[in-house]
Parts: sequence; C-alpha cells; structure tokens
Amino acid sequence: MKNGTVAKDRPVLSLSKVSKRFGGVVAANEVTFDLYAGEVFGLIGPNGAGKTTLINLITGVTPADEGEITLQGRNITQLPTHTRAKLGIVRTFQHPRILDRCDVYTNLAVGADLAGRRRVSSRNGREDRLEQLLDLAGLTEINLNDSIDKLSYGQQKLLEVVRAMLSQPLVLLLDEPAAGLNRAEMDHVVKLIKLATQENIAVLLIEHAMDLVMNNCHRVTVLNFGQQIATGTPEEVQSDPEVIRAYLGGAAHAAR
Amino acid sequence: MERAYRRLDPKRVVFTALLLAVCLSIPRLTDSYMLRVFNIAWITCLCVLSNYVLLGMCGQNSFAQAGLWGVGAYITANVVMKLGWPPLLALLLAGLGTGLLAFVLGFAFFRLRHYYFTFASVGLMTILNGLFMNWTPFTGGALGISNVPSFSLGSFVVNTEEANYFFIFLIFVIAYLLIKKLYHSPLGRSFMAIRDNEMAANCLGINSLLTKSIAFGITGILCGVAGALYAFLAGYLSYQTFTYQQSTMYLIMVMLGGTSAPSGAVIGTMIISLLQEWVRPLQNYMQFFYGLGIVLLMIVQPEGILGGGRALYEKWHSRKRPASTVAK
Repeated sequence: MKNGTVAKDRPVLSLSKVSKRFGGVVAANEVTFDLYAGEVFGLIGPNGAGKTTLINLITGVTPADEGEITLQGRNITQLPTHTRAKLGIVRTFQHPRILDRCDVYTNLAVGADLAGRRRVSSRNGREDRLEQLLDLAGLTEINLNDSIDKLSYGQQKLLEVVRAMLSQPLVLLLDEPAAGLNRAEMDHVVKLIKLATQENIAVLLIEHAMDLVMNNCHRVTVLNFGQQIATGTPEEVQSDPEVIRAYLGGAAHAAR
Repeated sequence: MERAYRRLDPKRVVFTALLLAVCLSIPRLTDSYMLRVFNIAWITCLCVLSNYVLLGMCGQNSFAQAGLWGVGAYITANVVMKLGWPPLLALLLAGLGTGLLAFVLGFAFFRLRHYYFTFASVGLMTILNGLFMNWTPFTGGALGISNVPSFSLGSFVVNTEEANYFFIFLIFVIAYLLIKKLYHSPLGRSFMAIRDNEMAANCLGINSLLTKSIAFGITGILCGVAGALYAFLAGYLSYQTFTYQQSTMYLIMVMLGGTSAPSGAVIGTMIISLLQEWVRPLQNYMQFFYGLGIVLLMIVQPEGILGGGRALYEKWHSRKRPASTVAK
C-alpha cells in the first residue's frame, strides 16, 4: 500500500523539543520528530495523549511553551496561524470545520484561494484538479450549488480533506480523517492520502483506525500523556512492549 | 477556481430587465416629493449594503454606519466649499477618506474579539456625533452647513430632483454590481469564512484582523459615498441627521430584508423607507411598530424576507419536481 521511497535528505517540517502545558497537564513534552516530503507519518496514542494539541502547536492555533518548529529550515515557532498556512501548513479538524452558511462550491474555493495566496497554483487545470480530487473523495455526485448541510458527516469530512488538498500544501495535517466514516468513505481517505504522497506532500496522520495507520504510514510515533514513547516503522512500533501496554494492548482489550 | 456551471438564466435576465425598467420609470410615475423619498432611499441603500458586507458577509455588527455616512457628507461639503475642488473629486475623496478612516479604526477595534467590536462601534458613533455637533470649523457645529452645491461635471449640473435620481441610481447600481463581484471573489469568500468559522479561516491562511478591517473599510467607502450623495442632494448638513438612531434603522432594514444576499439590503431599505411615507398618520406609533415587527420577524423568520422567500421557493420547487429525479 505504501508508496515508494521517501527522500530523506532534508525534512520539510521539524519539531525540536516542543513542549506545552495546560496548568498541571502536560500536553506535549519535548516532542521531537522530522517530517519528509512524500512521507506519511502516523501519530497515534490513547485519547488525551496530546495528538490534537500537537497539530494545534504546529499550526499555531496554540502557542508552544518551549521548543522550535521549523518549516524547510525556517523557524516558524512564533508565526501566527494564517502565516503558517500561507507557508504551506494545512490541516483538517477532528470535527469538520466547514463554512456552514455557504454552499459546497464556496467551501472548496476557500482551499483553492489559499493556493492562489501562496502563488503555487497554475490557472489551467484547476477544474481538472477539482474533478480529480472530488473523484478520489467519492464526491462526484454532489451538486456544487447545494448548501453544505445537505452533505452527510462523512462527506463533510472528505470535503475538508479535498479543501486542504486544493491549497496544494507542503505539509498536510490530518486529524482523525476516518473517524465516524464508513468503510467505503475510509477507502476514499486512503486514496486522497496516496495522492498527497505522490505529490510529495508531507502527511501527518492522527488516527485510531489501526489498519489505516499500519498500512499507510511510513513511520509512526506513539504519544502518551504528551510523551513520545516510541517512534519507528509500523512493525517496530507494533512490537514495542511499552506501546502495547500503553495503547495497543488497551485497544485490543477494548475490541474484545 | 471558476464556477463553470454558472449560466445566464433567461428568467433572471427578464426579471432584472423588468426591475431596471421599473426603477428607471419612477421619476415619470411620482411627484417631486415622492422622488425625494426615493432619492434618500437609494442613498440609504448604500449604507444598508455596507451592513450587508460587514454583517451579512463578514459576521461583524456595527452601529457606526450613520457616523461614517456623516463623515462622507462633511468631507464633501468641505472639499467643495472650502477648497473649491470639483464635486467628482469630492465624491471620490469622501469614499476613500471615510474608507481609510474605517479601515484604520477597524485595525484598532478588531483586536477586540466577539461582540466587543459592536460595543466599540457604538462608542465610535457617539464620538462622531459629538464631533459633528461641536467641531465647528469642519462641521459648522450646531448650525450645520448650508448651501452645499449640487453635483456637477463640467457644464453638466445635477440640480433637479429627477437628474439626482438618475445620478444616485447609477452610483447605487455600480456599488451593487461591485458587491456582487466581491461575493464571488477570494476576498468575499475570506469574509464568509471568518463569519462561519474563524479558526478554520485562519488555518486557510486568512488573516482575521486584516480581513475584518478591510470589510470595515469597504463599509466606510460605501457610507462615505452615500454621505457625498446626500450632501449634494440635500444641500444642508446637520449633526441631527447622522445619529445613532439612523444606524439602528440601517440594521433594522438589513434584518428585515435578510443578510444572505445584497438584494436583502435593498428590499429591507425600500420597504421601510416607503412604509414611513405611507403610514405617516401613524408616525407617533412607528417606533413601537418597528420594535414589535423586528421581535416578531426574528421569531418567525430570522433570515428576513429574503430567507423566507427562498424557503418558500424551494418548497414549491421540490413539490413541482419529485425527489426521485434529483438523485442520479
């Protein structure tokens, strides 16, 4: 399932000892990892481990207490959210944040607008691009003029991924893109992730659906109480005793 | 990304042509008193359209529009009368000056989050009205400014009620078309993204502070131009015109018409402007009826007349076309 080799010469995004505390709760403790172009990097861990917080730190929605975040060698730790987006860091949300009074078209166009602001889009082929993405997302049947609330929850989540992809990002942060989706919709998420890797986008994937993570990620890091307890290939992580105790074992137990 | 599926709907073309014909024949159909009412109504439309941009598109509520309207009017009077510059330049300066003022103030005000901008706008309105009343060199103080000359371009003078009608209507149509254009532009979409989900908007590279300030700046331009038109039309400016109550009225107009499209602003303005004339005998009770009407409207039809009309249309349409044909 995974796509070819990942060029590991220079990371696109680097986190170095990034920490965040909310009162007494440690949401991120010296989190350190590199993200390479064309790579799918999995971020897993039990609920409350600090996964979404980490995406908030990378996008600047939450400011980091300590540590350094660099994008293509540039320190972005102090930059506001919108500037980071314009530099190419784009995210989706656990619960889709759609523009609920707008139609489907406008919801998608704001993604393409970001590509325009980033000056990365070529004008010809924009329609083809949209068609390709909607096709991969299984959304070809929807009417672009429809109001957004005519879409199901799963369709809205897929649309959010399409919106992010339309901005042609360098880094794509996906916060549980498959949560609440049916099997068919999950397959569409996988197709979109694959396209992202083909286009050399660095993907950070938070997900609880283990098969999706294990089959699609090149590397995985496991977070527990804001602490990275293991990083490596899916196989390495799966057999790590601490990971099994903290997360996978618990999940397997719950599944039974 | 273009809307490839947008086609010119023949029904819409006919409707627009009819509407335009009606609007252009109004000077032939009414007396000069009613024509003045219409002239003021079209000017008011510009201010209410600014409410559509700021509230309807960007989700920010301001009570300062009448103040900005006044700024435009006083700039015009001063530029024409004290500097002796041509009226066209005064019109442009009124729009740009008021727009710039609003943009700069927006930069300060929008550091406040949530509804605190609205509070700040109430303060701005109060300060502006105080300035209009007391800053005698610029506004004439309590006496106001009289004998502002009519608009003219070279030897062409807009000095009759009828000429004013076409002049004001032309400016209104230009503003209306520009706002339609704005709606379909990346800037317009960034307004709507902020209105619907500010965090998502930020994550899509939209700078909240700058974007909201631009929206307030556009509000300023529209109100400033409206102020200039008012100065040319009325010829007399008094601080008693540019009041907080007037701002509230603009808000009532946009709420009545609906904030989902610019036409809502026009519908709301026309209904209230004309209603005021038709029910003149009941003038003493008007405030009461406005209040009651708005409360009822918000309960029964919070989306305004436009929203109600759209819901009815969709209901009628879905009945005409069975649901089975909708799915492919």
